[in-house]
This record gives sequence, C-alpha cells and structure tokens, in this order.
Amino acid sequence: MMLGLEIHQRLLTHKLFCSCPSELVEDGQPDLVVHRQLRPVISEMGEMDEASRHEFENRKQFEYLAYEKCNCLVELDEEPPHDLNREALKIVSQIALQLNAKPVDEVHIMRKLVIDGSNTSGFQRTAIIALDGYLETSKGKVGIQTIALEEESAGIVKSENGKVVYSLDRLGIPLIEIATAPEIKDGEHLLEVAEKIGLIMRATGRVARGLGTIRQDVNVSIEGGARVEIKGAQDLKMLPTLVELEVKRQQKLIFILEQLKKHGKIFIKKEFVDVSHIFKNTEAKLIKSGLAAGQSVFALKLPHHAGLLGQELGPNRRYGTELSDYAKTAGVKGLIHSDEHLEKYGIKPAEIQELRTTLNVQIDDAFVLVVADATTAKKALQKVYERASMDYVPKETRKANEDGTTSFMRPLPGRARLYPETDVPPIVITKEFLREVEREKGKSFEEKKEDLFSMLNKEMAEQMLRSKNLLLFEKLVAKFQKVEPTLIASTLENTLVSLRREGHEIKDVERTMNELFSAYQEGRFVKAAIPEILKLVASGEDFSSALKKFERISGEKLKKVVEECGHDQKVVMSRYRLYVDPKELGELLAKTSDQSNAGKTGKAG
Amino acid sequence: MYSDEIEKFFKKENIEIGDRISIEKDGRVYEGTLMPRVQGKNNIVVIKLDNGYNIGLAFEKASVKLLKKAEKQAREEKIEEAKGDVAILGCGGTISSRIEYKTGAVYPVISPGELVATFPALSSISSIKVRKIFSLLSEDMTQEHWKILADEVAGEIKDGARGVVVMHGTDTMAYTAAALSFMLQNLPVPVLLVGAQRSSDRPSSDNELNLLNSVWAAKNANIAEVAVCMHATIDDSYCYLHRGTRVRKFHNSRRDAFKSVNALPLAAVDYRKNFFEKISNFAERDKERKLVLDKKINSNVAMVYIHPGIKPKLIDSLADYDGVVLVGTGLGHVPTNPFNDKNAHSIFNNIKSLIDRGVAVVMASQTVYGRINMNVYSTGRLLKEAGVIGDGADWTPETAFVKLCWVLGHEKKLEKVRELMMKNFAGELSERSVLKRDFADGEEL
Repeated sequence: MMLGLEIHQRLLTHKLFCSCPSELVEDGQPDLVVHRQLRPVISEMGEMDEASRHEFENRKQFEYLAYEKCNCLVELDEEPPHDLNREALKIVSQIALQLNAKPVDEVHIMRKLVIDGSNTSGFQRTAIIALDGYLETSKGKVGIQTIALEEESAGIVKSENGKVVYSLDRLGIPLIEIATAPEIKDGEHLLEVAEKIGLIMRATGRVARGLGTIRQDVNVSIEGGARVEIKGAQDLKMLPTLVELEVKRQQKLIFILEQLKKHGKIFIKKEFVDVSHIFKNTEAKLIKSGLAAGQSVFALKLPHHAGLLGQELGPNRRYGTELSDYAKTAGVKGLIHSDEHLEKYGIKPAEIQELRTTLNVQIDDAFVLVVADATTAKKALQKVYERASMDYVPKETRKANEDGTTSFMRPLPGRARLYPETDVPPIVITKEFLREVEREKGKSFEEKKEDLFSMLNKEMAEQMLRSKNLLLFEKLVAKFQKVEPTLIASTLENTLVSLRREGHEIKDVERTMNELFSAYQEGRFVKAAIPEILKLVASGEDFSSALKKFERISGEKLKKVVEECGHDQKVVMSRYRLYVDPKELGELLAKTSDQSNAGKTGKAG
Repeated sequence: MYSDEIEKFFKKENIEIGDRISIEKDGRVYEGTLMPRVQGKNNIVVIKLDNGYNIGLAFEKASVKLLKKAEKQAREEKIEEAKGDVAILGCGGTISSRIEYKTGAVYPVISPGELVATFPALSSISSIKVRKIFSLLSEDMTQEHWKILADEVAGEIKDGARGVVVMHGTDTMAYTAAALSFMLQNLPVPVLLVGAQRSSDRPSSDNELNLLNSVWAAKNANIAEVAVCMHATIDDSYCYLHRGTRVRKFHNSRRDAFKSVNALPLAAVDYRKNFFEKISNFAERDKERKLVLDKKINSNVAMVYIHPGIKPKLIDSLADYDGVVLVGTGLGHVPTNPFNDKNAHSIFNNIKSLIDRGVAVVMASQTVYGRINMNVYSTGRLLKEAGVIGDGADWTPETAFVKLCWVLGHEKKLEKVRELMMKNFAGELSERSVLKRDFADGEEL
C-alpha cells in the first residue's frame, strides 16, 4: 500500500493577494451577487487535463455572494492580484524550517486550473515554498515532498439545476499545503503524522484554529488499484478507518474486475433505451411521480454484471453505489439497479419481466435505470457507461463521508493544471529573508516540547502542547521568571476555562494575564485570589481596582490578623484564605510559637 | 531572458528551453523541464517539476546537467484567408493574445483555426475570416494605424462582409472607435470593436462573451454603426453596443469598464439567447448604402489636462501644433485669475496667443459627463471670446481629440475648423442631454 497525506491549514494573516481580512461571514445578506461562467484554457504544455474537460462538459452557471467586510475586486476577479502577502510567506517558511525542508531560491506563483467555480478566476494560485523535508515519527522518518502556499477557494453554498452558488468570504485566505511522501505505513501511522504536523503548525501560533481551518487529504493506492485522493476528512480520528475502507474498496473493485474479465474484455453496448412505456401504470412512487412530471425512464444493460452491482465495497456501499455516484455528476439524484430489491421501489414482477425482455437481459446480466428528463437521463447513463467500461480501478478524487466511506467527486487531476501566474512577479528568497524567518522562528517544536515537559507535569505538558494558549504561556513564563510555570499553565488552561463556563469571559486575555502575573510576582496578592480577581475583571472592572479588593495581607498586618485569630492557623485561613499566603502564615506561626516557646523557656529559665 | 552567464552556459551545454535538466545543489537533486524566465533577469534557473510547479533555483554553486532534449514542435503559421460572413481583424491586445508558455512569448491569434480552437462556439455563430492587421499594445496605436485600419475595414465591407469585428486592446479602444466613426461614413453593415479586460489565459476571461456577442451582432443585428461591444455589467450576462463616438473606458480592470457618456448605449446583446434589444436610435443595415471612406487626418494635435497651478509656459510650448484640446475643469474652464490674486497665474493670454497664431483650441471637460458651457462664468466667456471652440458640446475629451485630428485633416482655417467641429458627423454631439447618467449601474434589462 502507498499512503500519503496532504494537509491544508489556514494561516493567521490577511488574504494572500489582497488586503482583505481573513474573516468569515456567519450569515447575513451579501452586498453583491455576481453571475459568471468559466471556460477551460489550454495549459502551458498544450494539454487540457481530464478534470477540466470533465467540468467543461458539464458547463455550469456560477453565482457568487460577495461581502464588503471581507471581499474586494480581487476576489471577484475584477482586479489583478496584489503582491503576495509577505507575512504568509514568512509563516510558511517558518513551518518549512521546522519540517527540515529546503526553501527554493525563487518562488514562482502558479495557477492551478479549477473550473468547478470555486475560484472566480478559474484557477487557484499556489506556489512551492520549500521541498524535500522530513518528519520524525515513531515508525521512522516520513518524507515531506512539498510545502506550498496557496489561496483558499470559495465555499459552496448550494448547487441546483446546473447553477452553483458560492460564498466569497473565504476565497483568498492563505493556506499552507504540506504534502508527505507516500511513506506512511498504515492508518494509525497516518493519524500520528497528521497529529504531529498539526501540532508543529499550531505551536508557531501563526495558523488559524477552529472548525474548517485545517483539512486533511489522504492519498491511497494498493497494488493493482489506483491512486485515490480522499478529501474532506474533518475528524483526524476517522483517518485510520478511511484508509482501511479505501483499501477494502480497491480490493473489492479488483475482485469485481477479475469476475468480469472471466468473460473476456469488458464490453458494454452504448444503448440508452427509453423504457418509460413499461411503467405507464406503475405503482412505483419514484417512477410514477417522475413520469407525471414529464420525465422519462432510461435503461442501460450491463452484461455479466448480475450479482456484481450488489457486491459490497464498504458499509452500505455497493458497486451499484459507485455507478450511481458517476450518474449523479450528470445531475440525477441516483439510479436503480437490478441487484436491488426492485419490489421495495414498488416495481411489479411483471414490469421487471418486461424490462428484462425489452433489454434482452439474461440471467447473468444486470441493468440500471434512471428517471429524469431525457437529456439528463442520457447524460447520466453515459457516465455510468463510461465508468462500467473501465477495465481498471480509476484514479479519482473522492469525498470522505461521515462513516469513513467515500464518494466519487471527479477524476484525479493531472499536472496539466498548472501554469504560471503572470500577474505576480516571482519572489527571490534572499539570505536576509531567511535570517529574519530564522530569528522569528524561535525554538523548534521539539525544543518547545522538551521545555514543557521540564516545567510541567506530564499531563499538563501534553495539554499545553496542544493548547491555543501555548504561545502566551511561553511569553508569560519568560517574562515572569519568579512565578511557577505550573501556576501560569493552570490559570490559562483551568481557571480561565472554568470561569468561562460560569459565564465570566475575559476580553483581553493577554493583557490581563500580564497584569495578573506582574502583580503576583511582586507578591501583591495570593494564588487563591486569582479566580476572584479575574471574575471582577471579567465583569468589567479594571485590573488595579480589582486588585485593591484582594490586596495580600502580610508582614505587620498579618501579625495583627494572627493575633486577632488567636494564633490559630485554621481560623486565619477560614477568614482570610483569599488574602493570606499559607507559606508566610506557616512561617509566622512557627516563628511566634518558637518565640513564645523561647519566652516560656526564658521565663522558666 | 536568462542572465548572460546562464545563457552562455546553456549554449555551451546545448541546453534549451523545454529540455529536461537536473540541478544538483547542496546535496539535493532537482529534476524538471527548463522554463523561460518571463520576468526579471537574474541568476536563477526556473524549472517545472514533475508535479507541475515551477520553482527557481540559484545557478550559483549548482551543477546543471542536460538529461533529455525536448521534442521539437513546429509552430504552425498558417494564414487562412477563407471567405466568411464576418471578418475579424486583429489589432493585438488582450483579446487576441495567446501566451506560448514554452517560450514565454505572446502570440497574436491569427487564424480562424486558432480562434475557433479557443472559442469552439464561434463556428456555430458564423463563418469567419480572420486577419491580423497589427500586433500592438493599444497604447502604441497612432493616427497612422487608424488610417490603415479604416482602409482594411472598408476593404472587408467591399468584399461583402455582413459585419466586421475589430479585436483591439481596451486602453485606447475608445479613440480608435471614434476615429473609425469619423472615417467610415454611410456604413451599410456594423463595425464592432471588441476587447477583453481580463486576460485570455484565465478561464474567467470576459473575452469569450464579448467576442461571441460581437460576432453574433456583426452577423445578425440590424445595425450599421461603429460600436464597441463589451460586458454591460460585471456578470457574464450580456454586452452593450456603445456608439464609437460616445464610449469611454472608466475602469482599468473591471469587466464593465466601458460606458456611454452623455448618451445611452445603442443596444444590448446576448448571443446565447439570440437577444438583441435596441436602446437608442441608430442606423440600420442597408446593403445598398454606399460606404464613404474619409481617412484624411492630422496627427499634429495635442491634448492638455488643465490642473491647479498650471504653468503658462506649458501652453506656450504648444505653439507648433495645429490643434490643441484643453481638458478643462467644470463647464470648460482654465485659470484666468480675474481677481488678480497674487499667487494665481492666468494662462488666458497664452491661450489667446495660440489662437492668434492659428492653432485650433478646443475645450472638453475633466468631468467627462456634462456639456461644455462657456457662458456661466466670466472665465468661460473670456475663452469663448478669444476663440476657444466647444461651447455647447457634450463630447468626451477623447472624442474631441480624435475629431480635431480628423477635422484638421480636412481644414486648417480656424473659422472653417470651428464650423466643422460644432457639426455632428457621427453622433458625437447632441442637442439634448439624456436623463439617465449611467445606464449600466444597477439597471436590469
């Protein structure tokens, strides 16, 4: 098995080729709606690639929703791209160094043809920043082939009747794309690689966090199978299942091909038969309502396919489902095939018999049916015909489903999709630039990890390594060297979280933490007061006035308090827990009891 | 376009663009196809990796080796001169350019074959004849080019074209459109200029809709005017035909850059729906009508943009021109300093002496929209009395300039020039101002 991973992660900076903020629109009316079409252009090497041709044949209308707050003319392809965002280039270079990759000497921005409408221009801009790195894992080094900087595509809103609607808010957000060599051993290893790369990126503090900000594409192929790229795996934990199911799917497809090839070369007659008349009086709901709406029923015979269409390729997915996925790209909702229980659709045995006779279907043969307007139905059967005629496992881009299975999206794009972006000049990577990156990079991920494990207990170290507060933690620890790192870590990871749960949200966490630990380092309040002070700050009080209410009692004042409480530690703590440092109290009590003991001794002596 | 050092090395090693090479550097080996340097001349070699990406690697300390020579592909330079209902004349510009990535050179599209290969839908719209007239950036066009082009268009019309489409760069398209409007009078068929705002090598280019609409209209629309056919809105929905003397480019990148000024567009067109809607009055097709080709033109004309603090010597430097268009402020003004402010300079006397020398001085306005009126302020009255031409005109600065070139090609006497300038020849002047200022913005057809 060959197994590789491609990770896309949004960067924490403005858009790649304009100054729009990388903000998303939750909901709300678009400020502008634009309608467009795309047309494939020949690539620089003179080829038009399969994926583009596939899209061109199904030429669609695109509707783009644009928003003033995060779009300008660049996203609408109404203005040339501006210079590449240098901050994004820096972030990617920084991560590249962490992954031991070699930066190129000059960055060339390329256009990757994508004419499904997800880019208004018809291409996605992308550039290789570094090559040839590696990642240390528990199962040895895994090569990092390429590290690229590219722009995020537009998000699909809906697709209906040959029109696709996209929202332009996320178009142009910078992404880092990390592609590993196909050297990952298995599903578990894949999970480890994905997690580790994710951690390394997030540890820089310069990548976005949250749902949808990271995407993992998995490349799987087995011997006799084909390279399949699986997109859209949102949950890392799903990766091992995804791999396992894809390997099974390819194995099963190879098995099906073997069965078919027993009858010689796969040959399917390209005959799409209108069988609407058979269902004139049908009680099959789906067909009946289709016919009533003026649609037709078209059939295609698949010789020697009996029993194979029903072969399970994965949970709830049969070979028939694969054919159905292809049919769907022509705009039908799905298909009916003869390995299904046709009675469950309400199709009568007599109708089935008539179908078999009309199509001349023998015991060994199968057929598929689609219900749609005649043009769409024929297009859909054409897709089924093309897929079923393949005497190999096709190279595909597939979409990950929630249960770990996958569905066909489009043929795997080839290299013909890339040509130079002539609107943006190449960028020379100078020694000065690399020095700057090196300087800003700080500690490596491994060093950071070591530091954490030396400062914190194992559990807290692991948590902090994955935390969005990691960078803030590092800053605070460096700044307040007299404060125990564990207190900083638990304030960030536990106290703030439980306060938030109780409804106390601190607005400017970084500023508040600086004020808090600066005062704490000066000994102005005690640990126990931290949640109380933070509650006041969350309610809108400024830090210094919140602090005043929890000013530490120590020295002479503490002595008075101790007197007042009859030198009883328990009483002091129960009354002044939020104001008194237990250590100081302990020392004071020890001292006074020493003195009184000494005094007693003295008197006695 | 590599540095001399690299070029010399390539020559020695017999390495050419398109060859497969390897570059060894710092213990790593990169393999790929040698690409041309499109921009910048430095010591970095550009290769295309097998994954399709281009990267640049410094030549210094690298060991470059030839792995495999590229297979030679001869570029077909077939020029087909077949008969077609619509004649398409190429002048260069974004619309008719194709980038050859192997060499980095920009080629004009010259044959019907190439054009149909690029726009397959063309063949279902009309038979076409394609000829390259110039390969120019539109900013390099001159009055001489207008003459040659007018000649070529007239030739196609005489040869029986049902319509002529001129592929042109957009920057100066409005000037050429105005020039053809004056030079080609009494048209029997339409002459449509078309361009693209967004480059042809992007799938989103506006070239397809613009070109197909212009060819469709050239063949089918019942119109016989010089017009510009470009996107009406930023949607890929339909195009407007703008009168050649009224059109102006208002944006340097948007698809809907072209608008009619002080006039409505002539018509809207969408070939996909066989849709053609008349918006303004225009001349209809008439095979019997005899084309008048009048290409006399004088290129010794200047145009000056009036600005605050303009120096009198700038005006004095124009004395050797036959004509000058002043793109004035507001209703048609220039600094005349009537209140004798000590910091202001009048250029009135300088203009007056130009006119006294026999230079035709014409007024247009920076506001682009609106009509010149030299009666409202004393500045205007002074200029009018001094003999500045243009009071009452609602022309664009560009059209005023082209018209002055054309009029001066016929007449030099100032009184005669004034008379011709103020006479409407090609819809460049109107007596009544239209109610709607901007037809395209927010207006749905």
